[in-house]
Amino acid sequence: MKILLVPLDPVHDVAVKMLNREFSQRGHQTILLPPDMKIEEIVQICQRETPDYIMVSRTLGYNAAELLGRFIDLIDAAGLRRKCKVVVGGKAITKELAAELGYDAGFGEKTRWEEVVAFVEGREISAEGKTVEKFKKEITRGYSYEIKDSAFRELLEKIAGQIIEWANQRTSPGVERAKIRERILKGEDLLDEYTELCDDLVRSYYKEKVIPKHVRLITQEEIKRLKELLSKSSYSPRVLRHSTDKPLVFVQYGTGCPFMDAMHIKVSEAWGADGVLHFDPSWGARCEGLLEGLLAHEEDGSIITLENLKLIKSALGESTLWCVRAHRGVNTPEIVLLAHEAGADLTKINMVYGSLNGGSDPERLTVDGVYAIKLAAKFNMPFDLPTNEELGGVPAHKAFAGMLAVAYLGVKLGAKPILKPLFCYSPDAIINKYMEDNYIDYNVGKVIALREIIDAPIWPGEPIGFMTHTEDRVQSAMTTALHAALGKSLELDAITVSSTDEAYARGAITTSARIDSLRAIADAFRFFGRAKIEPTKQAYEYAKMIKEGIYQTLQRVAERGDFVASLYEGLFGTKEEGANPGRAGRGTVRKC
Amino acid sequence: MLEKHIIDAVDLETTLLAESEQKAREIGIGIMKSFGFKDVDVVFVEHNGFAARIRLRAYVYRPGDKYSWASVGDER
Repeated sequence: MKILLVPLDPVHDVAVKMLNREFSQRGHQTILLPPDMKIEEIVQICQRETPDYIMVSRTLGYNAAELLGRFIDLIDAAGLRRKCKVVVGGKAITKELAAELGYDAGFGEKTRWEEVVAFVEGREISAEGKTVEKFKKEITRGYSYEIKDSAFRELLEKIAGQIIEWANQRTSPGVERAKIRERILKGEDLLDEYTELCDDLVRSYYKEKVIPKHVRLITQEEIKRLKELLSKSSYSPRVLRHSTDKPLVFVQYGTGCPFMDAMHIKVSEAWGADGVLHFDPSWGARCEGLLEGLLAHEEDGSIITLENLKLIKSALGESTLWCVRAHRGVNTPEIVLLAHEAGADLTKINMVYGSLNGGSDPERLTVDGVYAIKLAAKFNMPFDLPTNEELGGVPAHKAFAGMLAVAYLGVKLGAKPILKPLFCYSPDAIINKYMEDNYIDYNVGKVIALREIIDAPIWPGEPIGFMTHTEDRVQSAMTTALHAALGKSLELDAITVSSTDEAYARGAITTSARIDSLRAIADAFRFFGRAKIEPTKQAYEYAKMIKEGIYQTLQRVAERGDFVASLYEGLFGTKEEGANPGRAGRGTVRKC
Repeated sequence: MLEKHIIDAVDLETTLLAESEQKAREIGIGIMKSFGFKDVDVVFVEHNGFAARIRLRAYVYRPGDKYSWASVGDER
């Protein structure tokens, strides 16, 4: 095919140059004209060359219609219209404009060169273009969980051994309910036994059909309509990471309503999220027993029932990783069980954070946590360990000591833990001026310290950049994107990201706010590619300081010889530091 | 039936000539109400001397509401 490429524009000719390259490489004969030629000159060349295609490009919108109209008229007058196909493309072009002016085809701003080539070669091409294939990734794959320093190993071994021995002699209503639920799932009728171990709110729901305040039932008709809606929610998958494999990008949902959750999930997936995390209401964590059925909640957090979880699962894309938070309350083991039953990939268990900042009694959550970790191991479901106690003021090294103790316990119990240091502007960092110059060094120091201790996956959250966000949409997206870029630079396994509504507290997070952040992350990842963010020497000083702090904390806990007592006594964070032992479930643990 | 297409909220960003942040808020809320929105708020405002960059929001649906896009009934 003979193709004449014409930049009918004072300066812009990049598009025709790209097409020239592609057509030439495909064996077509091309003639590329320079920009800013007179129309009459171009027509003369067209008459002389009589190409099969005249491809005109126009970027500037100013005067475009008039100029393109005059050009096609002259081509017509020169008798070329019957011999050549005349095509126009560029930022100023729409298909409608091209048709109106009499061009054979028009290609607008978002056209891919493949589409133009396919048109010339008379081939069909899908409107979506090349399909991106996304696969569900195993975050924990390839990690040995080896403790790299024998001094740490000795302490962690001692602490984990003590926890296991202690927990083996104890049980709780949470553990017993999980055992009953497991049998119910197998078909046994044990509702009376189950409700015996529940709070009044849950018991009334089962026995007297009393629906808790702010909760409403979802009907089968609604489900049917949601399924119809989901079946129409097709989109082209996106990968945010550009040229690297890591990190996976997770978003949190928990609007209260499974319908709105489903919509947030679909929007997040469509804009490139790799995974989602389920957050339940805070009252659910303090209330003994779980409800059942399809339930919406008019406040923050989406109620955990097996039916709700299955509904959410039905909304998830095949490649989307799904984490259901379990650790923050008196239903931890049962939530792990239901999460597995509903098809979750991951769960969240950290007895230290959950009992010092999540409101659960340390003794109770330790008993429940150990059982929950055993379930996670049985189901081969990795669990992540958030360290959000840092947000209350607990120094990173103490939060990390707790995280590592539970992680090592997890490994001993056959599970696969994932470390979750927080990338945040924490009270401790503010008071001690660790982040006076930049937000990089202290966060890098955390990752270096953890990597020097254990070979384990690292997934900062929840979410990255905590306490650096404002209500300003641009600022919020920017700070998330920069923290995401830091995660990418450090080759971390995953990150949890917020929406640009992170700092907005007067209303629900919007789907647009989710897109804002994901778009910003995509551009940050594109900008950095495989390039690295270089921390200052201070990052290594912080790493040393954090590592020493972790060691000292673990040493004190090991010497104390009682993990639960260590939680009450402030070894993982004092009350002054914001670590307040929770009360939910206090006094419910019994020896068995 | 625009409600059939809006998932949750409508945001409007603009820069307002206003002598104070408070004045900008009042003008902003007034603008949103003049469009007929009821559940409105100022998400963000940054006032500097004579003008304010402002982001206004109207929730068409809050979680748990009856969503036209899902034709969800309300079975309380």
